[in-house]
This record gives sequence, C-alpha cells and structure tokens, in this order.
Amino acid sequence: MFEAPIQRLIDELSRLPGIGQKSAQRLAFHLLTVEEVDARRLAEAIVAMREQVRLCQRCFNVTDSAECSICRDLRRDSSLVCVVERAQDIVVVEKTGEFRGRYHVLGGAISPIEGIGPEQLRMRELVARTAAEGVKEVIVATNPTVEGDTTALYIARILKPLGVRVSRLASGLPVGGDLDYADEITLGRALSGRRDL
Amino acid sequence: MRLSWIELTDFRCHPSLRVEPDPGVNVFVGDNGSGKTSLLEAIGYLASLSSFRRSPDASLVRLGAEGTVVRGEFASATGAALVEVEIPVTGRRRVLLNGKRAAGRAAIAETVALVAFLPDDLDLVKRGPAYRREYLDDLAAQVWPAAGAEQAEYERAVTQRNALLRRDGRMSDPTTLDVLDERVAALGGAVLSRRLATAALVAPSVEALYAELGEVPARVSFSYGAAGLEEVPAGAGADELAELLAPALAAARRGDLERRTTTVGPHRDDVDLVLDDRDARTRASQGEQRSVALGLRLAAYRVLADRRATAPVLLLDDVFSELDARRSARLVERLPEGQVFVTSARGEEVPLVGRHWRVATGTVEPG
Repeated sequence: MFEAPIQRLIDELSRLPGIGQKSAQRLAFHLLTVEEVDARRLAEAIVAMREQVRLCQRCFNVTDSAECSICRDLRRDSSLVCVVERAQDIVVVEKTGEFRGRYHVLGGAISPIEGIGPEQLRMRELVARTAAEGVKEVIVATNPTVEGDTTALYIARILKPLGVRVSRLASGLPVGGDLDYADEITLGRALSGRRDL
Repeated sequence: MRLSWIELTDFRCHPSLRVEPDPGVNVFVGDNGSGKTSLLEAIGYLASLSSFRRSPDASLVRLGAEGTVVRGEFASATGAALVEVEIPVTGRRRVLLNGKRAAGRAAIAETVALVAFLPDDLDLVKRGPAYRREYLDDLAAQVWPAAGAEQAEYERAVTQRNALLRRDGRMSDPTTLDVLDERVAALGGAVLSRRLATAALVAPSVEALYAELGEVPARVSFSYGAAGLEEVPAGAGADELAELLAPALAAARRGDLERRTTTVGPHRDDVDLVLDDRDARTRASQGEQRSVALGLRLAAYRVLADRRATAPVLLLDDVFSELDARRSARLVERLPEGQVFVTSARGEEVPLVGRHWRVATGTVEPG
C-alpha cells in the first residue's frame, strides 16, 4: 500500500505484540518525521540489545555477562529458589523486596496444546541445580492458570522425592480492596487457601 | 427483573434500533427475515454474552459494518445493571457493566437472569449428550456465578490432556499425565458437584411440569449419569467427587493412551430422560419430546425464579407455531408474572395478552 521501505517497516512493527496495522502505520510515519539520529539510536538500541544480552547460565535470566546480577550477589540465599515462567516475571517478584533467594526461569509452562512439555522447559536444569547448589526450598511462582497450576504440580512431583520443600504462591485478595469488589473465582481461591489466625 | 431499554447498532440486519419494552408481555410480529429473532438474540446476548443461535461473535455484525454495539439496562428490586457490549469484526470484544470493564459473564449473571425457549430446544431431548450437559452448565452458571469459570478451566485442562494424548499416544510422558489427571480430577470435581446440585434442583420441576403439560399417562424421569463413576453419593462436594474421579481417570489411563482421548469425566456425562420406561431420546413421539423440552426450560425458569426471588426475563422465539393448541394453552397457563418477549410471524397465533410490536428491518413500532 505504501512505498516499499515504509511498508517494510510497517509490516515489521505490526508483528510486535499489541501493535496492529494502524499503530504500526502511526509509528512508522512518526519515525519518518523525527531527526535521523533519533531513528538511528532506536535501531542501534535494538541491535545492541540483541547482541549483548544473553541468558544467565545458572538461572536463565537475561543478562549481559555469564551470570546475572542476582546469581552473582553472594548475599542472596542460595538454598531458596523461586521458579518463574518468564524472565520478566523476576522483575515483578524483585519489586516486592521480600525475596532474598535466587530464581529459575522455565521458559514457559506445560501446555501440550502448544506442543510444550517438560522437555521443552528448563526442568532438567532445575533438578540439576537443586542438587548442585544445595537448594532446600523451591517456591513456584507460575501463573494461576491451568497451565501454570499443572507446571507447579509437575515440579512438586519431581522435586519432593529429592527432599526439597516445594511451595506455591498463594492466590487471594488484593490488599486495600473491598471484599465486595473481589470476583468470585479469586474469592473462592482465597477461601480454599485460607489461613489460621 | 426486567429489561428497561435496549439499543442496537449494526446488529444482524438492524442498522440502528431502540426499544423500550413493556414490563409485561411483548410480542414482536414481523415477516420472515425482518429481524425478530435477532432482537431476541441481542437481549439474550446482554445476559449471557453469547448468541443463543450459537453464532460466532463476528457473524452478529451487520454485513459491511466494522462492528456492532448492543446496550441495554436491566432493572430489578436489588438494583440496575447497564450492560454495554462492543463487538468489532476483528479484534476483541469489550463488555462494560455499569460503565466499568466487566470480567465476563459471572459479573452480569449476578444481577441478570434470563431463560430462552427456542425452536431448536427439541435438540435438548433428541440429540447428543452435549446438549443436556450444556443445559445444566448454563443453568449452573446463572445460579452460581463462579460455575462458568470452573467449567472453562475444566475444559481447558481436558483439552491439554487430550492434546498430550493425541500428540504422543502411548509414548505420553507419565508424570505429565499424572499432573494433568490431578488437575482434571480437581476441576472435574467442581464441575460435577455443580451439575449434580443443578440436576437435583431441576429434576423434581421437570417431572412435575411434564405431568402438568398433560402428556398422560407417561411419567418423565430426569437422572444424571456420571461417566466412569459407579455410584455418586448424594450431595457430594467438589473435593469428594475429585477423589472419586482420580481413581476413575487412573483406571481409564490404559484405554485413553490407546484412544488418544480422555474417556472419563464430566465432559462425557449424560442426563437420562425416561418416559415411563422408554428412552425419551429415541422412543418418544415428537410431541412428547417437545413437551419434555418445554418442561426442561420451564424448570430452569422456576429454579432461577426461586433462587433469586425475582422472575427472570423470558424469551420465547417462535415457540407457538410448533405447538398444538392444547400444549400452547397449557404452556401459557404456566407462564409466570415476569417480563416476556415473544416472536411470531403471525401475531394472532400468540395466545398471550400483551403489547404488540411490528418489526421490520431497522424499525420496531408499536402495532
């Protein structure tokens, strides 16, 4: 529809998540109006990120060296590992400031529909780590979906026989919210996961 | 419970339409293809967020339009619910409840209750078990708002288990199957307990209503059959049922590996409808089957009316043309007080006193 170089960029942009045809067009034409150095800086940032970022050899977090900053931090408790589906989930847990252990990025959740079984995830690496690093407890922080729950159960199955304590993040009510605004599913899970006072 | 007003934009054949119906009986009269059923479909969509014709969302959009918008307000003793739905031809549907983004059907089901009688209701009796399971699930989701989400999660878990079996067959990883079995059993227990509770609510009504509809001397019995479970204790809870499903799944594993699908669980259950000692599905006359179907819908209506202490909105799509005079009269005697929407090609065949509306493409006028 547009001249070839513009159309090529629009096509590339519209393949990004959350960006449709219209947004892609707007972004492409915006990049045409800004200073050339600004457009070049964006392009270089993308290339540099792809060239410099790799996966931490211990936990598979994204990093620019052999091990990520969390794994290099000797003050962190290496007997405690939090398992997440994706590297960006680490940031979410880190923001709480409550967790002082290390992480393990699975790279997804068990979902046969998408052809993802345990062998497509970093399960073997997780088992190897627990033995090698003396891990005592694994906290599974996969998403509260059918796939995330299945993955959590799977991890419990393979790690508990090795004497590792396996726990799962609780689901429950948002703090500071009114009880009557909670949806039934969340409230139902909060009920079944209630705690003694 | 009543619909105060409804507005359609580019819905089916209607470019733009607004109706402020009567709190009692509303009869939509119009030629074939004038959009009477579409109007009912729009009302039903606001309550259940799906088409009772089982049409995909995109097909609700008027040909050539970019999307459709349906807005309407329901009023009941407990409050009002303004439901607004926007369905684009491509992209995601947007649902607002009282101006706020709604999670889905559960939020709407809390205030809005609706039952539809359709010409296809004969399928409930005549066709496969899926129709009867859907009948119970649909009612359960209106009685207990959380039930809809449980059903969706259960289906997802079964789909995942089936995907693994289909892909790997006998080579399926046993540990992955173990954990999927655990999920299917846990979620299946929840679905099954709602189904059994719903069946317990409707069964006496169905049986009584069928007798009242006058199909003497036959008696109908309505009983839920759980696939792969020998005996289900009355009033069993979700956890108890999950504990029964787990060994049933384990016992079916070998066969499931061969057949590459999940053969045990609520997705395989059925409701037995028996007339005296005949199977209603295969050994009843068309007239008897229609009475059983009517009994099922009326029973759902009564259950909802009892649970909510307010009469649900009732949709009757072209129902009277299918019934003989005697059955029509008996149905009308049993219709409750609440708001009713009826469609008919010929107004005079509707044995109900109420407000008549003339429907043509894009217009609805008092008639």
